[in-house]
Amino acid sequence: MLRLFATIKKEFLILLRDKSGLAILFVMPVALVTIMALIQDAPFRDYQEMKIPLLLLNKDEGDLGKKISAGLKDSKIFEVNYFNGTTEAARIAIAGGKYQIGIIIPAKATNLLDHKIDFFVNATLASMGLTDSTASTTAVQNSSEPVLVYFAPDIKKSFKNSVLSSIRQVAAKLESQSLIESFKKELSNAGTPEAHSNTEFGDFITFREESAVEHPVTNLELNSVQHNVPAWTMFGMFFIVITLAGSMIKEREEGSYLRIRTMPGSYFTVMAGKIISYLFVCLIQFSLMLMVGIFLLPVFGLPQLTIGSNIPAIILVALSSALAATGYGVLVGTVFNTHQQSSTFGAVSVVILAALGGIWVPVYVMPEVIRVIAELSPLYWGLNAFQTLFLGGGDFSSIWANTSKLLIFFALTVGLAYFINKTKNN
Amino acid sequence: MALGIAIEVKNLSKTYKGALVPAVNNISFAIPKGEIWGLLGPNGAGKTTTISMLCGLLAPSSGDIHLNGLDYSSQRDAIKKIISIVPQDIALFPTLTAYENLEYIGNMYGLKGAMLKQKINDSLEVFGLLENADKRIEKYSGGMKRRINLIAGILHQPQILFLDEPTVGVDVQSRNIIVEFLHRINKEGTTIIYTSHLMEEAAELCTGIAIIDHGAIIASGKPAQLVQQYECLNLEDLFLKLTGRTLRD
Repeated sequence: MLRLFATIKKEFLILLRDKSGLAILFVMPVALVTIMALIQDAPFRDYQEMKIPLLLLNKDEGDLGKKISAGLKDSKIFEVNYFNGTTEAARIAIAGGKYQIGIIIPAKATNLLDHKIDFFVNATLASMGLTDSTASTTAVQNSSEPVLVYFAPDIKKSFKNSVLSSIRQVAAKLESQSLIESFKKELSNAGTPEAHSNTEFGDFITFREESAVEHPVTNLELNSVQHNVPAWTMFGMFFIVITLAGSMIKEREEGSYLRIRTMPGSYFTVMAGKIISYLFVCLIQFSLMLMVGIFLLPVFGLPQLTIGSNIPAIILVALSSALAATGYGVLVGTVFNTHQQSSTFGAVSVVILAALGGIWVPVYVMPEVIRVIAELSPLYWGLNAFQTLFLGGGDFSSIWANTSKLLIFFALTVGLAYFINKTKNN
Repeated sequence: MALGIAIEVKNLSKTYKGALVPAVNNISFAIPKGEIWGLLGPNGAGKTTTISMLCGLLAPSSGDIHLNGLDYSSQRDAIKKIISIVPQDIALFPTLTAYENLEYIGNMYGLKGAMLKQKINDSLEVFGLLENADKRIEKYSGGMKRRINLIAGILHQPQILFLDEPTVGVDVQSRNIIVEFLHRINKEGTTIIYTSHLMEEAAELCTGIAIIDHGAIIASGKPAQLVQQYECLNLEDLFLKLTGRTLRD
């Protein structure tokens, strides 16, 4: 025990005096969490929250123009800016980036829609023998000018589709309302009693949104903070690889490892001292990251981090992740012979594992092959477990698979490091 | 194993992976307790490989090693407690102070508390480093580093001490203190195994020597007897006579 405590004390003293190492371990993850949460805040926000600036040029003097205008305003997705100018001027304003979307409602659009609907209603009723089949059949012979939708050139396809879908929804509602009105009018003219004259039709198919998890954290959705804090905390923990591996290589290069090997105490005592010290550092790092999410990020106008209520489970995931990170550090420090090799490999491999683990982009948007590979990344296991606890209100049963993988990863890396070390020394 | 033998080596060999010839080839020797025994040889002769095997830093390809009657293959932990090595490089933690380094090393040998503190302070005083006990090793001069490196090796009073070029790069004053101290701990019962390229120092310090070349021991005995036996002027003359004047890598 004395040897273990002596090693832990020695590691802490060395770490405390390594200013650049401490900067990597603490300043870098705090900066990453803050910057990434701020940068990714907008993409993570719902379009409804964002209020997309929209230019509306309404040339129609009838109801359609007014209803589209009102529908867009009611949708709460758009910040409607009314434009009084030509279509070309509107197009230039959008192309110049002043607005991201422009909608041009052509002149006489109401008349055209009414004619189309009359034609459709008459044709339908005539086929049912309720009206005269010759009425108004030529109403839609005129070619129609479409409602123009302009997009700024830098708009993403997914964003474009989402906006178009919202506009179509407004248009479809107007169409169906006009159709119903027209049917009612024609049926009334045909002598059929007017049904539900004052009835407002709601949606025929209704939807209710529910969380798939059993005990969701109330009203909480994945936002920039909920993603970035656990994600970059995992990244920061694994970045300990550089400092830990560096310390092992430094000991070999400076000769102090030679002394350690000749002194009493097994390889595991020496490694345990190192692992416990760095484990402690990882846990401090983890606590710091949570505090950044809870206290610092809201200062910048970001949502506050919610961590759920299962603190023991969170500690278990943090411990397992920290063990996996230190185990990986011990392996890298054993395999490589120079500080340069280990820091380059350590940094690049952690970045790759982070990319695969969904630190930057959620895994579900990745190609299928990458999704399969992603499941091999310890950062993915840790992030998944944290998200389960933070967003899904999960318990021990929902995180055991990921924590087991992290602990097995730790055992494998330390075991492998032991055999490589033994082979190297012989 | 005879009583009074500190180190007994039988048919010791080491061939590195991929090497065509062995670095150490079937050597056998015995060093009585209380000796200051010099292992001398040109570069690449097999000195470091031999010392590394004796310290447990390198596994032999074949052969037996006994230290103070303990078998290396089965009693390594017990052996680690009674030996120590002072390598040529400064094997300390540069960002720790001298005191912190020695405290850590003492703890690893099971020393602690007031006894350890007393040992550290006494040793630092002997080597004129007590005033610099709280100074980081990285701030020490070359000579100070050599002295603290030696203290780190003798703090737990080892029964067998391996010294690899302990006085390289030190000034005359530091060298004098080191040599005097080695004589003192030797008189107190520590067997010293010493490697050096400094033949004059070896002649002054060693009670017995072995000259190794191409992985084999080519001569061993008391320095004065060997000089006489080979009809040489001094130890350096003997060394050159036995190992040749060709430059080594």
